[in-house]
Amino acid sequence: MSERGQNFDDLKKLLKLKRHEVPPPGFFNQFSEEVVARIRAGESRNAHSLADRLNDQAPWLVSFLRLFEAKPGIVGGFATSLCLLMLFGVVLAERSETGPKNIFTAAADGQAAATAVETSATPQFAANTLPAEGGITISTNASLQPVATLFGQSAAASLFQPASFAPAH
Amino acid sequence: MSEAATMPDSNTPAGMLEADLVKRAQRGDLKAYDELVKRYQQRIYATLYHMTGNHEDANDLAQDAFIKAYAALKSFKGGSTFYTWLYRIAVNKTINFLKQRKNKYHLSLNDIDFNAEHDPDLMALISDKTPTRDVALAELQKKLNEALLKLSEPHRMVIVLHDVQDLSHDEIAEIMGCNIGTVRSRLFYARQQMQGHLTEYIKNV
Repeated sequence: MSERGQNFDDLKKLLKLKRHEVPPPGFFNQFSEEVVARIRAGESRNAHSLADRLNDQAPWLVSFLRLFEAKPGIVGGFATSLCLLMLFGVVLAERSETGPKNIFTAAADGQAAATAVETSATPQFAANTLPAEGGITISTNASLQPVATLFGQSAAASLFQPASFAPAH
Repeated sequence: MSEAATMPDSNTPAGMLEADLVKRAQRGDLKAYDELVKRYQQRIYATLYHMTGNHEDANDLAQDAFIKAYAALKSFKGGSTFYTWLYRIAVNKTINFLKQRKNKYHLSLNDIDFNAEHDPDLMALISDKTPTRDVALAELQKKLNEALLKLSEPHRMVIVLHDVQDLSHDEIAEIMGCNIGTVRSRLFYARQQMQGHLTEYIKNV
């Protein structure tokens, strides 16, 4: 579509008046400051709303954290107990590295004790799970995995039977 | 004044290129964004003012547009100029606002600056209407704004961007998300409508 047959010159001249309409003096001096202030206010409101959301979704966490507000004694006690717990864990881990070896050595020395365990626990379990007729039953009871293998010991010296394959009758 | 004193310092936001300001603002630098607002506030405000015919609405919409643009700044990849991208946000916001407002409008017009009374084109159009220039200009201003508000939003937007803001067809097409042919046809139709509403001021209709 074109402007053929139409003369819009006068209209364009009239519309020039729109360019002379100006906002109150000093309006643009404040404008950018107001925009930036609103952006900053929005950012801080978002930060507050995060706390509000936490309050809604995990009120127990908020009330727990509030326990520490202006209570240095509780904070210190909590931190000390955390340290002690960590220390206890480290000591326990160090002991457990040597612990199983001693147990195993003791078990090897006292053959009777080991045999008693083998005959009383595992075969009984295997017999209970044996099918009445047909099929192969695989017993892989993970809870019976020898503790010694967890600490680098050979399975041959195990106290427990690892798995049993029972042929069908 | 020496040349060094007049040259903008490229280390301050005022002396920076637009692309650098945008990058800084994308990283959360509010001083850089403040400078971007200063650069475009007059054009954005003016467009929204001409669209709404209301200073307060234009102020609110312009602020909202700049705030929305800041929030969306990370999504700005530089496919268009920042200026066009900003305009698009402001225009969409204004069109949505006007659709919600429907036909209920309240004029709150700004004052006409002193230079208007010395514009020969304007004076030629109003000289034989009323004896005093300021009264004639005020009346023309009201009629002009009312005529603009009678147009649909897309037609009003095109005539404001082209005939008042002096944007090219290409820029308007990019801002409004339509092709140049649509811009031209809308402009033609909008001018026809405006002429019909302002016959008493336009001699050769």
